[in-house]
Amino acid sequence: MLRRSVMRSLLVAAALAASFAVWASPPSMIKIGTLYAGSGKFSQASTRQYDGLKYWAKEINAKGGVYVKAFDKKIPVKLVAYNDQSSTTLAASLYNRLITQDRVNLLVADYGSVLTSVAIPLARVHKVLLFDETGTSGKFFEPKDKNRYIVLTGLPTSSEWPKVLADFMQHVGIKKVAILYASNDWSGSQADTLNSTLKSLGVEVTFYESVPDSTSSYSTILRRIAATNPEAVAEFGYSTNDIAFLQNYASSGLHFKMMFVPNPALHFDVVRNAVGDAAIKNVYSYVAPPLIRYNKQVNFGPTLDRFEAAYTKAGGKNIDLSTVAGYNTGLIMGKALAEAPKFTQESLRDSIDTFSGKIFTLDGLFKVNAEGAQIGESLPVGQVLPTKKGLALLPVFPLKNAAAKYVYPQPANP
Amino acid sequence: MLKGWRSTAIVTAITLVTFIVVPKLYDNQFLLFNMMMYMALAQGLNIIYGYTGYLPFGYVGFFGAGAYAGALVIIFLHWMPLIAVLVGGLTAVLFGMVLIPLFRLSGAYFSIASLAASEALYYVVANPHLEKITQGPYGISMPQAYDANAAYWTMLGILALSLVTSGIIRRSRFGLALSAIRENPLSASMSGVNVVQMRSLSWLLSAFIAGLAGATFGWYISVFYPETVFSLTIGVFTIVFILFGGIGTLIGPIIGTLILYGLYNYIGISTPQYFQIAYGLLIVLLVLFLPNGLVSLLKRRGVDVP
Amino acid sequence: MSLLVYALLAGLFYGLYFALVGIGLNLIFGVMRIINLAHGAFLMLGAYGAFYLYTLLGWNPLWAVPIELVVFFLLALPIYYLLVPRLQRSDDPEMLSFILFFGLSQVIEALAVFAFGNDQHSIPDAVFGTRPLHLLGQVFPLSWVVSAGIGLAGIVAIYLYLYRSRIGRATRAIMTDRDEAVVTGISVNRVSVLAFGVGIASAALAGIFSPFMLGAIEPSMGLHITVMAFVIIVIGSLGNPLGTVLGGLIFGEALMLMQTFLTSWAQLFPYVLLIAILLVKPSGLLGRKVRSA
Repeated sequence: MLRRSVMRSLLVAAALAASFAVWASPPSMIKIGTLYAGSGKFSQASTRQYDGLKYWAKEINAKGGVYVKAFDKKIPVKLVAYNDQSSTTLAASLYNRLITQDRVNLLVADYGSVLTSVAIPLARVHKVLLFDETGTSGKFFEPKDKNRYIVLTGLPTSSEWPKVLADFMQHVGIKKVAILYASNDWSGSQADTLNSTLKSLGVEVTFYESVPDSTSSYSTILRRIAATNPEAVAEFGYSTNDIAFLQNYASSGLHFKMMFVPNPALHFDVVRNAVGDAAIKNVYSYVAPPLIRYNKQVNFGPTLDRFEAAYTKAGGKNIDLSTVAGYNTGLIMGKALAEAPKFTQESLRDSIDTFSGKIFTLDGLFKVNAEGAQIGESLPVGQVLPTKKGLALLPVFPLKNAAAKYVYPQPANP
Repeated sequence: MLKGWRSTAIVTAITLVTFIVVPKLYDNQFLLFNMMMYMALAQGLNIIYGYTGYLPFGYVGFFGAGAYAGALVIIFLHWMPLIAVLVGGLTAVLFGMVLIPLFRLSGAYFSIASLAASEALYYVVANPHLEKITQGPYGISMPQAYDANAAYWTMLGILALSLVTSGIIRRSRFGLALSAIRENPLSASMSGVNVVQMRSLSWLLSAFIAGLAGATFGWYISVFYPETVFSLTIGVFTIVFILFGGIGTLIGPIIGTLILYGLYNYIGISTPQYFQIAYGLLIVLLVLFLPNGLVSLLKRRGVDVP
Repeated sequence: MSLLVYALLAGLFYGLYFALVGIGLNLIFGVMRIINLAHGAFLMLGAYGAFYLYTLLGWNPLWAVPIELVVFFLLALPIYYLLVPRLQRSDDPEMLSFILFFGLSQVIEALAVFAFGNDQHSIPDAVFGTRPLHLLGQVFPLSWVVSAGIGLAGIVAIYLYLYRSRIGRATRAIMTDRDEAVVTGISVNRVSVLAFGVGIASAALAGIFSPFMLGAIEPSMGLHITVMAFVIIVIGSLGNPLGTVLGGLIFGEALMLMQTFLTSWAQLFPYVLLIAILLVKPSGLLGRKVRSA
């Protein structure tokens, strides 16, 4: 009995080693493991992101599979996906299952930093490359960790996001800014960067405070902010926070020259439909694909227009950043498989370095540093402005990317 | 009496041996780790709820306190993880001592007050003003301490401790005194049981186990946010598991966790899209048709359940 | 100074609304001694009802009030008969109800995800008109006034039901002493089913106005709201529906004052307050019984 179990464990260990080492013969399919949140706090973005990845898999399989250089042939891909219900404990266990039991060839993280965080030590210790779609926390990419088993495929780390915003504020001559943020990693690191960047530019930060994630009423806080007389107000939070904040601002009777919130950049339609056109008009946000439409520059994969047309034709919902991020992760994985001379995790990671900075997808320039963090993209500032087709979030700064002239100061609500 | 002790020892031994052998046959170590963790938490909760009737909804507060205390001594003092786990347990005991006055409350008041205490602790830990100490909302990252195998065996030790403690309490005079308190605190105190002392002792033991488990969990995953370790679902799951198995017994929480946590993972993997609905329905049906837990099926047949 | 006045008035509006959020939970606990952990899930369903009436038919949320009161009362009846009598026969209904209704809330949430999707929604504040209310030199959104007004109306209605009707007298008798009430020939089942229906309907009523008071609606919003409702009713005292008004007002004022003067600690304070109140008065501010030992 004991001997048998020892034998078995040896076999298992051997199989495990083999699954991430060199394949002697090509596998019949490339297994890609991922998680999505079917319910709970992150489900809105997570399911869209998963839809984007699923669409990539469907599309590539329709072409006979993904080209794998190590075997010089096309191999179909198979997605193995579990529902983590936005729970990190469950996610950790499921990531572990993907690695150790399903022995997936490629591992893709769930949406956002919280659900990505638990995958990082697991991927690292099992020596599996983690394709991080939207887990943008800076602490995943610290040079001292020397972690080669993570690549951020989409957006830059969240502390990079507000840099253009700070430039914009200086550009229009804003001297006093109030910053409010929800106490989570993603929001806090943006607020922190904006605060320090503004101070270094000589802009006064009149208000710098946090509220818990679960905050849903902002009216009294808005009064306090108003009491410090800022010209611009930046609120950082999840979309629930932004929605409540914009609703409360619209009905507060207060007026600031500039109002900034991040989530319209991620899911414009959701925020807009929730708060109504009157409350979101003229509000500033970042712009990210698909709101900034990369078409001409794209040298790898479909242009944004073509992707959107094909995706909606295939029955998908209207696309947002999460959809693009999920699809883009598929593109990057495909490119890595097409470039890596050996079918190993290390070779995949090395091949990413070879094309980093050279490919431009519908998500923007793909460029990662030695730690795997995304440094190719930056987030322009956008503003919600009227167009022929109704309100849209348009890039307004830097001026060279602008699709419209910014309106500053924002006009008061009617 | 002797027979009772023997069955207690057998149950403990079988459980522990299982977790020693199974990792050699089954690869998902983290699933097994979580299973042990919930079993330890279930026994910890059993010590306070099963034997005294006080149900703390905020039991996860001890877990979170332990996870943070353990992580912070690793990060700032560079202590060995094993000692950090002990610190986690002791911190939870400290938190438990602060909360002893809550025993003046009864029934649902006690439950909600302990929940409030756990939430309050969560908001303190997650507050950006404490970033220098707790890292605030940015969470803990300590890849340098990551050692899944060591954490696994540590959790096995904690499970052993929780089983032995729970088993001893159940069979000892201490346990008898506790159940006397549960049945009727007034008459228990009149017959010479030091109600306050007994209850406090089991409360602190219960906190200690949760603190150890929390610190070991934090060590295992090594990257976590405040909401990860103060998640209400951890507490809710633990409560559901022991109610399903049967409270006030040693084997009830073990079986309850084994079956429900096993099913939870099975449904999550086989039919992820119907995950939540299947699990919810399962719970509803269990309460309606098996309200006293699985062990009640055995008890009804006159079996002396360990 | 003006900040203080604003916070106090905002706390009053929110307090009245919070009382409505909690009152149904308390009524059900008072009569049946069960903890309806699915309270927030019913509130969520109420919110979606108002949202769809608004977006699909363009109806003002006020029209949702009579419709949802009827629909949710009727919806509560089969749920009651399926779950509660069986639960009451178990050894410890109070604690078992906790997990039973947790399970129910999971089912409701899962069905809501299937039916409504995961996207967050809300109803624009402007639906009640864009002209704000001026009060004591301060400006308040009309949606707060409406929500607080409905909250007040709901409380008054429940007061009349409990104190001015025959079945209300029976309800209160059961709340005070269940066994004695049974002896005097009160039909516990009839009283319970009515209280259950009223409790669920009041949750849905609070849900209609949650987009204006509690932020965006999504299927998973329930648990957090249930916990909050619990804090509110425990402050007032369990089983005393009018205590809920006091609990709601204290919670609302505390939250708004903290948000104004100690923003980042705002969410912590209600919980600390709850513990402090319970330690001074172990069964809530309006509680009667104090347990020995």
